[in-house]
Amino acid sequence: MIFRRMLIGFSVALVSSLAISTDANAHKLRAGGKTVDVAGSDLVVTPSRDWNKLGEKIGKSTESWTLDGEQLNDVTFFAGIESGKPLVKERDKKRDPLPKFSGDMLLIEIPELLEGTYRTYKSIATFELLSSEPISFLEAEGVLFKYRYIDEDELTRDGEARAAMVDGKLYMITFDAPRLNYFERTIEEFRAIADSARRQ
Amino acid sequence: MSPSKSRLIVAGALILSAFDMASAAPAPVPPPFEGVYQPQGLDEVGLWHEDDEGERNLASSSMLIRDENLTAYLKSVLCRAVGDDRCGAVRVYVLREPTFNATMSPNGTLRIFSGLLLRMRNEAELAAVLGHEFGHFERRHGLMRFKKTRSSTDIIAWAEVLAGFSQNSDVRLSYQNLQISVYGNLFRYNRDNEREADLLSLGYLNKSELRPQAASEVWQNIMGELETSASARGLKKPKFDRIAFTASHPPESERASYLAELAEPDGNSRDDGKERYRSALAEWLPVFLEDQIKLNDFGASEYIISRLSESGWTADLWHARGELYRTRGNQRDLVYAAQFYANAIELDPSLAAAYRGLGLSLIKTGEKSKGQAALGRYLELKPDAEDANMIQFLMPKEPTL
Repeated sequence: MIFRRMLIGFSVALVSSLAISTDANAHKLRAGGKTVDVAGSDLVVTPSRDWNKLGEKIGKSTESWTLDGEQLNDVTFFAGIESGKPLVKERDKKRDPLPKFSGDMLLIEIPELLEGTYRTYKSIATFELLSSEPISFLEAEGVLFKYRYIDEDELTRDGEARAAMVDGKLYMITFDAPRLNYFERTIEEFRAIADSARRQ
Repeated sequence: MSPSKSRLIVAGALILSAFDMASAAPAPVPPPFEGVYQPQGLDEVGLWHEDDEGERNLASSSMLIRDENLTAYLKSVLCRAVGDDRCGAVRVYVLREPTFNATMSPNGTLRIFSGLLLRMRNEAELAAVLGHEFGHFERRHGLMRFKKTRSSTDIIAWAEVLAGFSQNSDVRLSYQNLQISVYGNLFRYNRDNEREADLLSLGYLNKSELRPQAASEVWQNIMGELETSASARGLKKPKFDRIAFTASHPPESERASYLAELAEPDGNSRDDGKERYRSALAEWLPVFLEDQIKLNDFGASEYIISRLSESGWTADLWHARGELYRTRGNQRDLVYAAQFYANAIELDPSLAAAYRGLGLSLIKTGEKSKGQAALGRYLELKPDAEDANMIQFLMPKEPTL
């Protein structure tokens, strides 16, 4: 999910002004064929190829991966969002609150939660749910949905996500990429990750 | 005097000496339009060049609402406000962005945000805002601000260089005071531009056939919305009379009061074009309402819906209110939501989305079979709905043999 552009802007400015170069800030590699746990949770996946893990976290219990940069392809894992919590970190809890996940939500409302989060956080107006289907995800009843939106940078992005609620927590994996070229190019790689997802 | 105290006094003096708009007389009629204007001088030619480039990008922007009828209608409202001779210089673009805003750039590009159109209740209110933007254009405020900002930052840059030569703490202090004074002056200049644009806007409106009192009502509404939004979020009531040091616009309460004074009293009986506005926006209103409701600002959305309902509840308004309450999702909200959806259905039994909302709200409040019946009706009305398979998932399962 492309939420960290502003955050990164600040940190890049800070880091470059201090001229600090350290491996701690570098993006880590997620090697193809190797099973890894994400966001320090019980969710594990096995990517079919190498991915870059982004150092910046957009929220508690999240982790993001990319191939060519977050603006071109972005896989975000929401690994166990608790009831009453937003999907991503709020900029201002009081003045700019985000929609919260709730354990009593229906599966059909999960796409609405993601839509509300995108619209509120990015202050965008064009977001369209293209389809939603019931699936089995993490051995539970889940939802697979596709969406399209015009992002803050005025680029049209397509997205696909799978979500399920397990033990009252939300598990979701999203993929966002520009509709032009990038979405089709990488969607199968994303599906391979999502297919491999399980809880340990 | 301590440095912080002296700085406070400088800032205070700047605020107190703000442009005086207190005028009991209605705004004067603007002078005759000077006709087609071409940029003059290096700065202005450069600004227009940049602006032309921006407009080319805007014309192909994905945010643009390409609805010829809507754009032509908005242009006609502008023309009615400022006069046919003036409005010829303007190109109107509508952007789908859910914020209360409109901008006019130096070359005559008028950007109107969908969030503004949602908040206006009639032509006269819209004309007041568009007239204000046109006022910036007519007085070439864009260029003036550019020059003012440049000269202000030049002064500060040179002062910093000169102050750097001295080790004396008094010189340093003087530099800091100068910095505050120059910036304060720049922000005040911008606010004065806004006041001048307001004055011109009322001048146009007084001369037009529309009701000039609507200008003040725009700001009264905005204050109402901000107050309701803050209250729903458990925040303190916003202060509408306070001018922050860096404020770009005069405070809302000041604008509401001077705009009321500038309006021609005899104009109060004029038409405000409510019906024309409603019918021109009818197709877009549900879309703009949905964009607003999904912004997670319960108070503001509730306020906007209630103001729009003053001239009668419609199925779209009831449905929007249902969506607002269902999205907040407390049990008490869901009970209300179900009622609002039912009201929408009563006014328009073919409104598929209202059956969906009704069904989901009922299921979540424990009325499963009634909810499923509503969802069934939704699927009948919209069999190829994007979420049809998920809805099917909530329906009673066929008994297996």
